[in-house]
Amino acid sequence: MYKPLMQCVVVMFSVLLVSPVWGQTRPETASGWAWQRVLKQDRFQDAMQMPTAVFVDAEKGQYDVVDSGRNRLLSFNRQGELLHIFNAGKALKTPFDMVKTDAGGIWVVEKGRNSLSSIDLKARKVTPATLYFRGALVYPDRIESASTLLYVLDKATGSIISYSTDLVAKTRFSCSGCRGGFVDFKIHGTKIWALDQQEQTVYRFRLDGTREAVIPLGDRVNFPVSLDIGPSGYIYILDRHARDVAVYDKNGVFKYRFLGKGMSRGQLYYPVEIRFDPWGGLCVVDEGNARVDIFTR
Amino acid sequence: MRNSVLIMLYLIAVALLSVDSSQAADVSCFGCHDAARFAGKVVHKPVADASCDICHNPHVAKYRGLLRNRQDILCYSCHRQQKKLFSRGVVHDPVARGDCSSCHAPHVASRKGLLRDDPAADCLACHNELSRQYPVTHEPYAEGRCMACHRPHQAENLQLLVDTGDRLCLSCHEASGLKSGHRDFPGPARDCLSCHNPHGSERAGLIRNVLHKPFSKGCVVCHDKGSAGLGMENCLKCHPDVREQMLAPHSHLGGGDGNSCLNCHSPHAGDDDTLLKSPERLLCASCHGQTMAGYRRSRYRHSNIQDCSGCHEVHGSRHPAMLKGDGNDVCIQCHKDQGKFTHPVGPGVLDRFTGQMVTCVSCHNPMGTEYEYQLVREGKKALCVVCHRAY
Repeated sequence: MYKPLMQCVVVMFSVLLVSPVWGQTRPETASGWAWQRVLKQDRFQDAMQMPTAVFVDAEKGQYDVVDSGRNRLLSFNRQGELLHIFNAGKALKTPFDMVKTDAGGIWVVEKGRNSLSSIDLKARKVTPATLYFRGALVYPDRIESASTLLYVLDKATGSIISYSTDLVAKTRFSCSGCRGGFVDFKIHGTKIWALDQQEQTVYRFRLDGTREAVIPLGDRVNFPVSLDIGPSGYIYILDRHARDVAVYDKNGVFKYRFLGKGMSRGQLYYPVEIRFDPWGGLCVVDEGNARVDIFTR
Repeated sequence: MRNSVLIMLYLIAVALLSVDSSQAADVSCFGCHDAARFAGKVVHKPVADASCDICHNPHVAKYRGLLRNRQDILCYSCHRQQKKLFSRGVVHDPVARGDCSSCHAPHVASRKGLLRDDPAADCLACHNELSRQYPVTHEPYAEGRCMACHRPHQAENLQLLVDTGDRLCLSCHEASGLKSGHRDFPGPARDCLSCHNPHGSERAGLIRNVLHKPFSKGCVVCHDKGSAGLGMENCLKCHPDVREQMLAPHSHLGGGDGNSCLNCHSPHAGDDDTLLKSPERLLCASCHGQTMAGYRRSRYRHSNIQDCSGCHEVHGSRHPAMLKGDGNDVCIQCHKDQGKFTHPVGPGVLDRFTGQMVTCVSCHNPMGTEYEYQLVREGKKALCVVCHRAY
């Protein structure tokens, strides 16, 4: 009499145990990634507004965050403590991205001026420059540096253009035939990795302009906005609309995804950029939550 | 004794299940429902077989018309291949909604495929922005042959065209005749739909109604010496306000062979002053297809959304999601009362986690959620305790 009843109970428990509701864990921990610290302005009245980029100054051991809404740059130490706020005497106009070159130069993309501006910290002076490529006006978006060159993403064409520090155009990297062009890129060693949002594809170039690989991401991502390459060579894709990070191996095989939507610690609202720091952290710049979250494994 | 009762019950259940249900339906359904109304040129097979109970429950049901299940689930239970096919590419709204009967009669019709009597009228019932007749009307459109150019269920393009725009046009209009009709056109004539309205127009040659001012003065105003593709600067020198918007952190710059304007606008002619290449929502969906699909899929979504540009800045914005203002400004454009008596929002009301201003979109997502009022979480408790943890 009790045997069938017991069988039912066993079956029900089995179903519950394998059901996704019971199996759920926080996405960041399921993947092994855990929130470590945040870069933000603690005083709410002076909180960042739409931070758009983070630069990692490995030599100084600090993070520089571009606060586009309040027209300033904020520096944090590795522990996440605010070190400096720099607004160049209120001269910056919608800064969007920045790099520091090996030679010590600071370059900031100022969207409000459509310029690539060099900053002289001592003189607190900003010198804007308008960029061109083969006579056409360039709309700087993202910027990276390698060796003695600056690499600028032209938002108008979606191509990456390398410039000398005296802003002479050198090489263009583009995805011929793609609809929208690139939306982000990173340089690792002698390779440029670029993200084509519309076609959901990653391109890999040599620094001489040769295209080495085209890696489709498939339909696992919705609205990819940023990418970086992890220490083990995996490709990390930031999905702004899914509010998470999708991870692929170097051949474009999807491995896993982590993080999720929200405003609480470690959650994403309108993320805009990801970048690995040299200390094993993955920095996620979140415009909507006005902070940079750093995750480690 | 107990075993005997169980066996009896089992036998009764088997006997009930083995009754020929179609015969039962035949007898009971047409006893009341006039059989003549279910006879005609094309009859749906279950109706012809008098198997009403395949779709209807004779006693009680959760669905209107005593349907046994949701309409699309019933249809696809027999039309299995279609289920697979209709999930690919861009899917027509009624198909995505599973509303097969908006175009097909479930019982009887006079047309093949159980199409309702006047397919064009059916199309225009939803596509009510189109007129049935224009001063100059494209022949297939005038004849109500929408399917000459469109696929009714799904396609690989947003307009659900049977082929790419230009190839479709050339399937009827001979290429040899194009040159004489486009004498000043810089380069070979292409991208027909950017200048011609395939349904109808007030202008000869189905040229769209509103001409771009320079185009109305002649091609050489922009294309001096017959130059073809022109850069974005050519557009922005006359539209400085757009240039200013493009300098925001987020903009729709990008692609278009260097002239981003041409991603959305026709440089020659359009159906209204915006000179958009196609209706706004279709145009936005050509890049933001997944966003649109998510909106359609959502259980609760903002209704009465006419165009994306009601809330979103189309050229450039200083706000996330390219909104026209912060998450309050945009909503109180229409929801004026809510702006006065809601949960505290606006400057001075800061989110405890982020230090950002609390706005309508902190709690609502007009693009759709699974919760009533488009709340981002369940509204009775889960949403509130995100911030009000002490409760």
